[in-house]
Amino acid sequence: MSMSQEEIEALMSGADDISGGDEESSDDSVGAIDNDILAGIEGITDDEPQEEESSNDNIDDILAGIEGITDDEPQEEIPTQDDSAHTIEEMIEESKFPLPVEKEHKVVNQLNEVAEDSEEKASQIFDILSFILDENGEVGDVFNQLEEFATKQRDLLTSLENKFPNIDVFKDNLEESQKSIEIIQAYKLRIDAENNKIFEAMEIMQYHDINRQKIERVMAVIKKLTNYLNGIFEDDTGKPEVQIAKHISGDSASTVSDDDLESLIGEFSNN
Amino acid sequence: MRILIVDDSSTMRRIIGNVVQQLGVKKGDFDEAADGVEAWKILETNGQYDVILTDWNMPNMNGLELVKKIRAGGAHQKTPIVMITTEGGKSEVITALKAGVNNYIVKPFSADILKEKLDGLIKG
Repeated sequence: MSMSQEEIEALMSGADDISGGDEESSDDSVGAIDNDILAGIEGITDDEPQEEESSNDNIDDILAGIEGITDDEPQEEIPTQDDSAHTIEEMIEESKFPLPVEKEHKVVNQLNEVAEDSEEKASQIFDILSFILDENGEVGDVFNQLEEFATKQRDLLTSLENKFPNIDVFKDNLEESQKSIEIIQAYKLRIDAENNKIFEAMEIMQYHDINRQKIERVMAVIKKLTNYLNGIFEDDTGKPEVQIAKHISGDSASTVSDDDLESLIGEFSNN
Repeated sequence: MRILIVDDSSTMRRIIGNVVQQLGVKKGDFDEAADGVEAWKILETNGQYDVILTDWNMPNMNGLELVKKIRAGGAHQKTPIVMITTEGGKSEVITALKAGVNNYIVKPFSADILKEKLDGLIKG
């Protein structure tokens, strides 16, 4: 929902009323702020932001269309507790969790790394954009000097052409001079347009900060969840860990039948 | 016009700095701080600023705490403050206004919006 400038100004006017009175009356004033005005403010929301639905792209189709991608790429092998080698992809595919607790698998670590790395890259992009702006500024200065010179030349040639209308060289050079000025002015406009595009790009880079804060929000949730789960699963009985049963009656096919049991007992008794 | 820009994102500080330069503020006329603590130190040592532009969510001391500290007393008690933040909730806007900010901008913003707000503060 977007908000107009008039509406935000109306909110600011309301703020003057808020800060003018005592604390209690301020609260009343706040309550009186027109909800319609707030509803119209760009970026102001009543509700918590909704999570965006992720799209389910057909990864296989995309990969198939990319040159150089093969199915038999070498997979990085990850050691597991049962000493058998599995790739991360295989482990996820087979729901073999948890993944080994290593730095690259710690979710908060990874998110933090993404946030910090993108900040660094955004800064580098900004350096490049700033460099282009500075260069354009210098080129613009040169164009200004050229325009100033060309204008003086045109004025001089105009005087000469007026004074000696029968001399063609003055007339021809005056026309050339006028064309030069027009070309310079056209390029100055192009530089201005290019600068405006760079400013637009810089404005769009605000989304880096917005996205970073979204990541930080996810990190905060995970940290709180971690603390909660640690707390709720914490064992403060002091009881030593007992060996757990591998096969219990009622489990699926893995328990031995009565007949098999007797048979096994008989077989071993004979030995 | 001297401006203090307070934001924990270096990219955001550069973006805001670039916008205020477009508005005619010279590079030497604005300073930057990465959080409220740093901003407060600068305010105490670097003399008078005409406008303070601050983010809300920052480490160490957030923007709201900074606004309250400034409004509580000192040389910048009356200095106009604009909060530039991703916090777009109604209650957050009201909280900021009650704390003493003079204007409020929700990210992402355009250079024109900031210009309007600054012009309003300077003329007002």
